[in-house]
Amino acid sequence: MECCGPGYASPSEAMKAPREEILYTIAIYTGTGIQKPDYLCTIDADPASPTYAQVIHRLEMPNIGDELHHMGWNACSSCFDDGSMSRSYLLVPGVRSSNIYIVDTATDPRAPRLHKTIQGADIKSKTDLSAPHTVHCLGSEIIISMLGNAKGEAPGGYLHLDRDFEILGRWENSMGDIPFGYDFWYQPRHNVMASSEWAAPNTFMPGFDLEEVGHLKYGRRIHLWDFEKKEPKQTFYLGEDGLIPLEVRFHHDPDSTHGFCGAALSSNIIHWWQDGSGDWQWEKIIDVDNEPHPEWPIPVPGVITVILLSMDDRFLYFCNWLHGDIRQYDISDPHNPKLTGQVWMGGLLGKAPEVNGLQITGGPQMIQLSLDGKRLYVTTSLFSTWDNQFYPEIRTNGGCMLMVNCDTENGGMEIDPDFAVDFGKEPNGPSRCHETRYPGGDCTSDIWL
Amino acid sequence: MTTITLANRGNTTFEVTGRRPLLDELRDQGVDLPFGCKYGGCITCAAKLIEGEIDQRSQVALNNRQIADGYVILCVARARTDCVLEIGTESHDRLYRNPFLDPLEPHELKADIATAKETPDGLHES
Repeated sequence: MECCGPGYASPSEAMKAPREEILYTIAIYTGTGIQKPDYLCTIDADPASPTYAQVIHRLEMPNIGDELHHMGWNACSSCFDDGSMSRSYLLVPGVRSSNIYIVDTATDPRAPRLHKTIQGADIKSKTDLSAPHTVHCLGSEIIISMLGNAKGEAPGGYLHLDRDFEILGRWENSMGDIPFGYDFWYQPRHNVMASSEWAAPNTFMPGFDLEEVGHLKYGRRIHLWDFEKKEPKQTFYLGEDGLIPLEVRFHHDPDSTHGFCGAALSSNIIHWWQDGSGDWQWEKIIDVDNEPHPEWPIPVPGVITVILLSMDDRFLYFCNWLHGDIRQYDISDPHNPKLTGQVWMGGLLGKAPEVNGLQITGGPQMIQLSLDGKRLYVTTSLFSTWDNQFYPEIRTNGGCMLMVNCDTENGGMEIDPDFAVDFGKEPNGPSRCHETRYPGGDCTSDIWL
Repeated sequence: MTTITLANRGNTTFEVTGRRPLLDELRDQGVDLPFGCKYGGCITCAAKLIEGEIDQRSQVALNNRQIADGYVILCVARARTDCVLEIGTESHDRLYRNPFLDPLEPHELKADIATAKETPDGLHES
């Protein structure tokens, strides 16, 4: 395969890749009261290393107040046949500032450096877009979901960058009737892209007002796109079953039409697929019950803020950020998921306030799985203003990262007793950790053409 | 010129023109202030107004309860009179609330969806 570009020939090849030795994880000071830039951490994930499970490098961004959130690679397995491409740059957007930082991870993978900044002001003036979220490479180019226009109003659109990170303009030809944007994933062999709905930046950035859900200020739909025409072609109206649908994942298998989305507030998993007659169908396959809370007048919803599929498409993982559990389901039959593992860390139900000697503030939130499916890295912060509402102690305690060992033979999960990264002890004060990526690719980046 | 007093910074005072957002006018004079979006949409720069009048018509981040509690969005707020402010996250004691434990009344929502509040004399206030 030495003739080729980045990534792997197939998901099964990706699973045979060498074990991840370092992790790149976002840490933020935005909203914490500490007047320092957000930063990208390098975490040592090599158990044989003396600095195992420690932050070994911090790349501070040049501004404060960005709120770094999600990231993406300049190239993935979608350019596997393109020998001129390499997975050398991590795109790190700031949701609040709209600045997008291009970080060079190739020159020194343990100490990434800033390569280029795309200024939020440039993006706004050239495309009338703001609030960057999901980054996917698109062959040699890049598209980024942008959740608002320059004034923070929905639905925003998609920013299109070329391989040198120059702004090409807007990617989509039409947003159709889509009211909100958030996450997206595409499955090119079926000419389809799926997108989900959070809310307008002006709605979600200041914090979560439950009443605004009833006023239709939050999403409840999933959209399928004609990927080549760059326009939406069908909408699933999920209603009360699909309030605030967030992370969207197609099967990694490029021939599959099955996809999944976690509806955060409804705490349901939505599944869609193309049936034998070519029609797209959807169903609710998992419904997390609300749990009673001694001090709350109403039961607590799980709030599924993330979902992820193992590279072999066998296991679905998700977190209930307010309940405090991480779940593993065997989805070999995507219509009939089977709960195979569950672990607890933090959360509001008091089931696991302390793990590995660490007081857990927040609940399990962003997750990233190793390519072989055996190690799941978990962080606790969701979004600065929402953290401040639900877990106000995170301001003084900071976030943390744990690792969960996953049984890929029989199913099952166990929190690793030897891995804990305490972001409460960072040199500039308690910070909050969010999304994680690996230099060799991960389970939420690669798409196969 | 108007005078801005920062109550939780030892009552230090700063002269501002009122022609530019307070965030810019105060940062230019060396005040360390949090901020994010810089268009009045994200609440990161919220401060609490203790005394005085501020024009923050273009903010879209605050709901009516936060406004009633005195919060102002510094990246778009301009001083109309001398003001006393509390700044930084120390002033955010009433800014964030658990939405399940402490719901908003209909008149406390954001201005575009809030309903008018009935007052005892039959008049409405928004």
